[in-house]
Amino acid sequence: MKNSYFVHSSFLRSSFSALLLAPFLLAVLYPFLWMVLGIFKTNHEFFQPLRIWPMSPFNAEYWRVLADTFLPNEFSIGNIQDLVFGKWVPFRDVFMNSIVSSFGQALGAVVLSAMTGYAFATLKFFGKNVFFVIVLAIILVPRQLFAVPLFSWLNTLGFNDSIFGVIFPGVITGLGVIYFTQIFRKIPVEYIQVARICGASEFRIFITLLSLIWPALLSYAMIHFVLAWHEHLIPMLVLTTDSQQTLPLALAKLYDVSQRTPQGVQMAASTFSLIPTALLFALCHRKFKSSLSEMLVH
Amino acid sequence: METRTQPEHKASGGVGWAPFIFLFPFLLFLVLFWLTPLISGVKMSLESNGLGAVEFVGFEHYYALANDERYFKSIRNSFIYTIASVFLILPLSLWLAHLLQSTFRQLRPLLTFGLLLPALTPPAVLATLFLMVFHGREGLLNQLFILPLGLNSINWLKDPDFILIGLVLQTVWRWTGFMTFFIMAGMEGIPKTYYEVAKLVTSSRWNHFRYVTFPQLRSVLVFVSIYLIVDGFSLFSGAFVLLGGSGGTADAGLLTISYIFQKTRFFEYGSAAAISISLLPIMLFALFAFIFLRRRH
Repeated sequence: MKNSYFVHSSFLRSSFSALLLAPFLLAVLYPFLWMVLGIFKTNHEFFQPLRIWPMSPFNAEYWRVLADTFLPNEFSIGNIQDLVFGKWVPFRDVFMNSIVSSFGQALGAVVLSAMTGYAFATLKFFGKNVFFVIVLAIILVPRQLFAVPLFSWLNTLGFNDSIFGVIFPGVITGLGVIYFTQIFRKIPVEYIQVARICGASEFRIFITLLSLIWPALLSYAMIHFVLAWHEHLIPMLVLTTDSQQTLPLALAKLYDVSQRTPQGVQMAASTFSLIPTALLFALCHRKFKSSLSEMLVH
Repeated sequence: METRTQPEHKASGGVGWAPFIFLFPFLLFLVLFWLTPLISGVKMSLESNGLGAVEFVGFEHYYALANDERYFKSIRNSFIYTIASVFLILPLSLWLAHLLQSTFRQLRPLLTFGLLLPALTPPAVLATLFLMVFHGREGLLNQLFILPLGLNSINWLKDPDFILIGLVLQTVWRWTGFMTFFIMAGMEGIPKTYYEVAKLVTSSRWNHFRYVTFPQLRSVLVFVSIYLIVDGFSLFSGAFVLLGGSGGTADAGLLTISYIFQKTRFFEYGSAAAISISLLPIMLFALFAFIFLRRRH
């Protein structure tokens, strides 16, 4: 932050920027506010149309109508109870499955990519260039693209309806390898040379360096967790039993019109699905940003 | 991409088995869960549809695709969707990052997190919220913007002219804040001395941006574009929830992945695999373009 160009922005400029940002923030956050308030609404309240056009915003009536449509009549937690106690979908199972699957993918991806990145950055081996092209190919050919053969191959391996059928393909990431290659390149080469002279094994050096780059490990784990949390197609093909499924599948089921789930329950599920990733980011987004800017410096 | 690349001969301590011990876990997973399915996809695309006993049919599925209007439509839609989202998100997030950097420092984390929130939300939820909030005559977008402008309200789900635009708007909503975050991280890494030199030459803020910030952000922007392109081609969840796995009215919102998914519903695995494999040349072209771009600097 210290070496930023923008430290000396004047008060006027700062206010002006804030003013310009406000409408964007409102547009981005309005649906979320509406989602959280929706938990407490009955279907009738939920679908109550917002009829403010052609009223004028300088009229008190405009704001009264807006508040009336926007706020629920009473804050009761019935919908949350229905959802959590599994009236519509086995929500607690589904939530735990999602946590396990996303955590497993994040952990696996970090371990594999960090090891591969270390080899790319500091070791010399046969076929390095070819391997690097393969890594780029992994980035460019997302596994959703060949979901069908992947799914039938997972069936052959016996991963049908198993959470491992989602986790194992999810630990391969080209982006992660590139990320960690860059991270390990930033480490002064002298550190590694000294360790080698002292007779440390490559594995020992790697483990020691991990403690130096832990913000990067954490950052990548976080981003991979978010991506895994959102994954829909592969789990949908692999996981068939209700209690084995992950959150996006349960959400799609709750949203399905033919299920006639109350809107409040849908909104409660939506809100819960956002909590883990939002919490994760709120807790460590500074660490994440500083580790990113370090990596992105030329 | 980096000017401080290590001289490799200095770092090459681990000759012998060490590199392969480091590469083995990744290679194992790569072969088992990436390479094998890809190759079996090629085989699958040459076999007849259906479950159970399949027979070799050669390039039949590919010939069928050449005459399949929906296939071309889905590819066209995916292209439009991806390119439109990249060209909307990049400038917007550059601008937002600039604004965030020049606003009050105490407000910055809160504002950034607010903008970032959609990226943390499952796309299924985004699709639903988008629909409920913006859809219909009573939706916010129609009530606040479209109707006061004297236009007719837009049916985001049924009007074939607007389905794809709706999907693009959703993506812009989803990723802009996240990309802003990346660009901000890049901006903070630019050494202040560069700007000090720039200020000696010119006082125009636009020139500072044009000749210092923008070139310095090149690697971030390349990363962001690749991320968006790959994500655009693999979009499924949002379109699935909005359109129930169909392409919407007149297939206006049919994306490639949705089309592949439709094929699996009827157990047409051979055709589905053929669509996937037919996209590989496009991706390979992108790969060579990428390598070429890397080589150039």
